[in-house]
Amino acid sequence: MRYAARWRSRVALGVPAALALLLLVVPLVALLLRADWARIPSDLATPTVLPALRLSLTTTSVTAVLCLLLGTPLAWFLARSERRATSWVRALLTVPLVLPPVVGGVALLMTWGRNGLIGQYLTPFGIQIPFTTVAVVLAETFVAMPYYVLAVEGAMRGLDPRLESVARTLGASDVRYLRTVGIPLVLPGIASGLALAWARALGEFGATITFAGNFQGRTQTLPLLVYVELERDPQVAVSISIMLLAVSVLVLGVLRGRWLR
Amino acid sequence: MSAASRVGTGLDARIRLSRGEIEVDVALTAEPGQVIGVLGPNGGGKTTTVLALAGVLHLAEGHVRVGGQVWDDGRHRLAPEQRAVGLMLADSLLFPHLRALDNVAYGPRSRGVGRHEARDRARTELERVGLSDRAASRPRELSSGQQARVALARALATDPALLLLDEPLAALDPDTRARTRSDLAARLTAYDGVTVLVTHDPLDALTLADHLVFVEDGRVTQFGTPAEVLSEPRSAYVGTVVGLNLYAAQGDSHGHVHTADGGLIITTSPTEGAVWATVPPSAVSLHRHHPEGSPRNAWRLRIASVTMQGQSARIGLVGEVPLTAEVTLESVTALGLQVGHDVWAAVKATEVRTYPR
Repeated sequence: MRYAARWRSRVALGVPAALALLLLVVPLVALLLRADWARIPSDLATPTVLPALRLSLTTTSVTAVLCLLLGTPLAWFLARSERRATSWVRALLTVPLVLPPVVGGVALLMTWGRNGLIGQYLTPFGIQIPFTTVAVVLAETFVAMPYYVLAVEGAMRGLDPRLESVARTLGASDVRYLRTVGIPLVLPGIASGLALAWARALGEFGATITFAGNFQGRTQTLPLLVYVELERDPQVAVSISIMLLAVSVLVLGVLRGRWLR
Repeated sequence: MSAASRVGTGLDARIRLSRGEIEVDVALTAEPGQVIGVLGPNGGGKTTTVLALAGVLHLAEGHVRVGGQVWDDGRHRLAPEQRAVGLMLADSLLFPHLRALDNVAYGPRSRGVGRHEARDRARTELERVGLSDRAASRPRELSSGQQARVALARALATDPALLLLDEPLAALDPDTRARTRSDLAARLTAYDGVTVLVTHDPLDALTLADHLVFVEDGRVTQFGTPAEVLSEPRSAYVGTVVGLNLYAAQGDSHGHVHTADGGLIITTSPTEGAVWATVPPSAVSLHRHHPEGSPRNAWRLRIASVTMQGQSARIGLVGEVPLTAEVTLESVTALGLQVGHDVWAAVKATEVRTYPR
């Protein structure tokens, strides 16, 4: 009797758990099953894929560099400040994390568009941001930067604040402290932040297509190409998807193996 | 040189600020070459004082002058990196990714000294703390005592006018602590700036400091040489630190001392008016019955605690005159001293010292 009750409760929990797992895993398996492995190399060498691949690599690299150069100081300010305003900034920073990317794209248009908040001052100079490669970078940075800043801020909070006090009594300015002590000690955090941000930028679709459009060689990144190819030649779309999946798994592997416990 | 002008080249500080729950108001003065020991209970404002001297915390009022230079006057202040200050904390807080040599060279490098010159200086400093052979080691490869010595070398490599040591030995095990304490003492004798040593270990203070400052609840409760403090404690905390039973009392010319709790102590060294009275724990003898003969003081007290300390035991007694008695382990068994039992405590009147409050 007790045995049966235990069995029933196992089923009651086991069935939904198994369903959840299937919902996540089956699509990946389906993708792998549909792949025509022999065709992948030639699929990836088609004239539409190469420009998209190159564009994706350059824009995500620039995004990663922007995160590093701009996000690291922001993370440092957030990590060392105990003011109430800091928690508001941090909350603000998490909005792009949960915002639908399309909405992000619309917001970027409202900022950089011809009549946008900032764009209106650029138009007289003949500078147009939307539907350019710069727009792709801006869209990717918009969605990726929060991942980086939050990861690095977490790592910096883990540092003993007295290290900074000691460094300062030794004569180090803020910049020197960061360069010689702060950053070297949070390198693992910076690396995992970069990996997360880069992976997020690589997968960016909604904000990019809204704000940058879908122009081959200029704004058509790999995810956009997958969407286009699905109409034209689904097998190419599957091949690109397999590649992106492989990259994601690789990033995850690197993160788990070295930085995530 | 007169004392005043010597202080002018040393440390002259009045530190007033509030941090969290505590309002700190501490005055410190010292001549070059002196070591000031700052003692007090945890949370009493010791570390706050040190961080204010370092410039990490800002004064609300007061001043910090070192070597004739104004570091903080309550309105304008020098940043920590602009002060000739050295800081060493309990966990030696070496930069974990740098070799010992580069840890020590960090200060000179930060202050604009060239790489080679800074490394030469670092080598000299490591030699002074007896660690020239560990220059290439990373902090995690060093023992805790060696880490502490590297931290001291690092703090001194910038020729600070003021050296701040906040519990420098607290994180060490007892063996290492004794050795590192003598290393520290040796290095400090060769140092001509002012040292402020924060500690809660009386042994550190007595062996290393020229003057002691007791800070309790943000205020200085006693200031003096170790000898003065040892013989005449002026707060309950100081009494505990120096190991004396201490009573705030009223004395009269007949040698009667009335404690605040209504106890009566008889002394042969009467002081009139508000007095402190001390009784050394070793001068207390315990008896099962009312003692006969010479002792003038005898109280029936209840045993509240019994702790062992080496070959002797410390008996905490409560009652008319709360006392700590130090007795041999034999008497603990012979008298059957157990917590909750009553016992007679006797003290000769000649052992009771009084001095004005």
